Amino acid sequence: MNQKSAKRNIDFFILYVFSFLLLWEWLRPVEQLTGTSSISSFLGFVFGSLLLAFLGFPLAPTAVLKLIYILFTIQSIYYGNAGTSIDLFLNDLSQNAGSILKGQWAEMSDSFRTLLFFALLWITTYLIHYWLIARKNILFFFLATLIFITVLDAFSPYEAEEAIIRSVLTGFSLMGILTFRRLADSENIQKRSRIKRKWMFSLAVMIAGSAAIAYAAPKADPVWPNPVPFMNSLSGSGNTAPDETEQSGFRSDDSSLGGPFLPSNTVAFTAEVEEPHYWKVDTRDVYTGKGWISSRQNEQPLNFGRNVPSSLFSFTEKVPSEERTSIVYNEEDHAHIQYPHGLQRIVATSSYRYQLNQVTNKITALNGSEQEAPASYSVQYEHPSFQAEDLQASSPEEADRSFRAIANTYTQLPENVPPEIRELALDITRGHKTWFDKAKAIETYFSSSGFTYEQVDVPVPSEDEDYVAQFLFDTKRGYCDNFSTSMAVLLRTLDIPTRWVKGYTEGTYLETTEAENRIYQVTSENAHSWVEVYFPNIGWVPFEPTQGFTNEEVPELEGITETSAEEETVETPAETPEQPVLEEPEQKKEINDASQEAPQLNAGLFLKTNWQNIVVILTAAFIIAALGYRSRRKWLPFYYIFIYKRDRQDHHFPKAYLVLLTQLERCGLKRKAGQTLREYAKEIDLLFSSSSMTRLTSWYEQYLYRGSLPEGAWENARNEWESLMKKTR
Amino acid sequence: MTNRIHPGIKKILHNIEKVIAGKQEVAKLSLVALLADGHLLLEDVPGVGKTMMVRALSKSISAELRRIQFTPDLLPSDVMGVSIYNPRDMDFQFYPGPIMGNIILADEINRTSPKTQSALLEGMEENSITVDGVTYNLEKPFFVMATQNPIEYEGTYPLPEAQLDRFLLKMKMGYPTLDEEIDVLQRAQKVSPIDNLHPVISLQELRQLQLDIKEVYVDESMRRYIVELSSHTRSHENVFLGVSPRGSIAMMKASQALAFIHERDYVLPDDIQYLAPFVFAHRIILRPEARFERVQIEDVIEQVISRVSVPIQKHVAKYE
Repeated sequence: MNQKSAKRNIDFFILYVFSFLLLWEWLRPVEQLTGTSSISSFLGFVFGSLLLAFLGFPLAPTAVLKLIYILFTIQSIYYGNAGTSIDLFLNDLSQNAGSILKGQWAEMSDSFRTLLFFALLWITTYLIHYWLIARKNILFFFLATLIFITVLDAFSPYEAEEAIIRSVLTGFSLMGILTFRRLADSENIQKRSRIKRKWMFSLAVMIAGSAAIAYAAPKADPVWPNPVPFMNSLSGSGNTAPDETEQSGFRSDDSSLGGPFLPSNTVAFTAEVEEPHYWKVDTRDVYTGKGWISSRQNEQPLNFGRNVPSSLFSFTEKVPSEERTSIVYNEEDHAHIQYPHGLQRIVATSSYRYQLNQVTNKITALNGSEQEAPASYSVQYEHPSFQAEDLQASSPEEADRSFRAIANTYTQLPENVPPEIRELALDITRGHKTWFDKAKAIETYFSSSGFTYEQVDVPVPSEDEDYVAQFLFDTKRGYCDNFSTSMAVLLRTLDIPTRWVKGYTEGTYLETTEAENRIYQVTSENAHSWVEVYFPNIGWVPFEPTQGFTNEEVPELEGITETSAEEETVETPAETPEQPVLEEPEQKKEINDASQEAPQLNAGLFLKTNWQNIVVILTAAFIIAALGYRSRRKWLPFYYIFIYKRDRQDHHFPKAYLVLLTQLERCGLKRKAGQTLREYAKEIDLLFSSSSMTRLTSWYEQYLYRGSLPEGAWENARNEWESLMKKTR
Repeated sequence: MTNRIHPGIKKILHNIEKVIAGKQEVAKLSLVALLADGHLLLEDVPGVGKTMMVRALSKSISAELRRIQFTPDLLPSDVMGVSIYNPRDMDFQFYPGPIMGNIILADEINRTSPKTQSALLEGMEENSITVDGVTYNLEKPFFVMATQNPIEYEGTYPLPEAQLDRFLLKMKMGYPTLDEEIDVLQRAQKVSPIDNLHPVISLQELRQLQLDIKEVYVDESMRRYIVELSSHTRSHENVFLGVSPRGSIAMMKASQALAFIHERDYVLPDDIQYLAPFVFAHRIILRPEARFERVQIEDVIEQVISRVSVPIQKHVAKYE
């Protein structure tokens, strides 16, 4: 292929056009992100450089042309039309050179930076030219482009969605064309036009097809949330958005739940407690179908000093309780106060004041006018011990004064909640009369029924999918948000007022102090969510539906006497939710029913429900078998070597020899029908430049035509046979 | 075939080499015919060394060479011998003809009348002759090497095809190569090298070799292969008359001899394929239309060889 004549053909033109488009992708974000105004002059430079390269201009005139272009551009940008000012420019140049030598990068002037940028572009265009013509390989540049764009997309305001599509299209086209050129060169294809047409056509179809499919196909949401805030918080420079860092460990925005739960190991606070307990931060009252939000967002916060106002209502005086104190040592910058259920008083330096959000029950600390939590504070609270009898006795009929409002707020559900959820709730609670029994039934429902605790592999519900329905009926795996939200929604379908609570578990036990207090370390891994159910005349009672978690405050069914239980004795599932074997009797019954029906339907049902899987498995098996069969030339030799090599008995030799013949045939070295083995062996040996085949053949001839094999033939032939077998792969 | 050669045979070949420049293959094939107890038909133009070749061979094996120059007026009795009334003994006395020798050179066999030709051919087949009701056994070894001019020449009586069957091999001598011919001139300048030729093997030893050859192992698969080839010649589309069973026997004997010459005690398909043109060619009669289309017998044989699959496995009947 003549380089000169190739210079100007249409292929090369396309190559240069695509490269230009690819390089353009580098300049687009520059324009948007750095505010560079004269991007068109740079673009013009790139265009001109590539055009000159395409036209095959000699080096010296090209360089002169480019230099003139650069100088004129700089002149027109920075020195205006005030005539040529070479002196000025040279002066500037020497100054900048000086500052570079001194390492004072910031002192460089804009014009000099422009000059450097031009130089960079010059080098890049040269490199592209080199990659296209000499290397015929653009992969590196293409990859670099993609990395550049995606990194910008992730870490800067630049939206690269279209840019990625564009550069993928151009990049793959370039690589396809260049691959063809490489192949054509290495195979010495002279008359290429027909082959080229075929290649280009299939290339275009493939790229267009895959791009269309990729564009149309549904894309998974990012596996982890936007890394920028996290990285900022790591590097300690994250002062930009206090809202986002305020509650590390759990999302401040719960309006769309789902996706993996990837907490960091950051220590949130250390707590010195009399007895371990959960820490509340926030509650939510409105379920949207995707997550939780709070109603009345503009509610005026309630200011208070030490004593928590009564609007942070936990439970009534009827509940027997015990006063306790916990001390919190904050390890993180945030403004909220985490507190136990039944909080009464916050004690910290007197300069602090507090605000209570009456909707979310979130308490924010104020130091003067600044939102800031005290470094350490103690919380006094009433530790409740809810009595099962009281809870069972509590019923909506004997509503207290606050009940109506609460019932209204905390039983709301979006209109499009799937009806199956209510059906399931009715199913679970069938036979249970009191709210408490129902709540316990639902709480324990999650400890079995095929639910698994999973932090990472948790999907985000699709557009028209309910978060709870997805978890309950589809995936059945998830973490606290899934369990707690599902329980809350199930209860709400039964018109039992429920709210969703966010906070921390008790944390990791560290040590015990001299005063018999225990020290716990709470990290963002301990971020948690659970539910609280409102019982008239009693108050908010926490429940813990999440597998593997135990909240001491959750009331147990234990204390119930036999008389009150109409059904069979119920064991204590909530105590040990890690053991899913403990099931409610109802569920056992259901399972029994199902298993009785099963045998009759078994085969047909199995086929019916699994036919897709079966088809997939069969297809996969077929494909694997086909691939194995097609590539048998590669692996069969090893199989036969394994089989025959072990034994040294001569009777293996004829078999092994025939195997070799078949293997050679598979390699396309078929023996003609009328060809004698000896001639064939010569042919093979000529091909492999060996003499093994002739030797093997002479032994085989003796076996076949003389009727006897010389003693030890296989012993002698083995190695030669093996090497031939290996050569045939 | 690059093969070892039996040392005794090698000596003979070496001897012939002294006289005839090149032509090793012809010499080897002649020995195949001799050792297989068969006869040889050399077909070529005069003057390429046919006679010299036979003379060298007979001198090497210390056999008595009888030469019959066939002419149109030669009579059968000139070949076989004649009984003449001896007045002293009051009886007919038999004067044996030239056929009563070990090696008979029948020069230009196609120039004599069929009557005389058949007298010779009968002797070749029966290993005995009958003159005036008395049967005389021919000597052992008995080896006829006939030469004939190609049929295109005038004044010849082509051998009947059925009689050609009596010859184990038929081959062409061919012109020597340029270098060989120059060598021939140099050798012919002085005294002919044939006069200095000494026997390298006795007739007794030759007899022994002939007996040994019968012991060369022919595998069942090789017998099958030979028969396959023969029957394929019979069914070939261009063939009017194919190879007879006698041809198959000839092939087996010849291949045994060839294997023996190569110091092998078993026959290979390679032997058979190598010999096929020499053993089969004169036993096949092409269809007139094929002849008209200038189909060569050699091509037919090649096709037959390529069609019949060589047996490469034991006990597997891989035949169509």
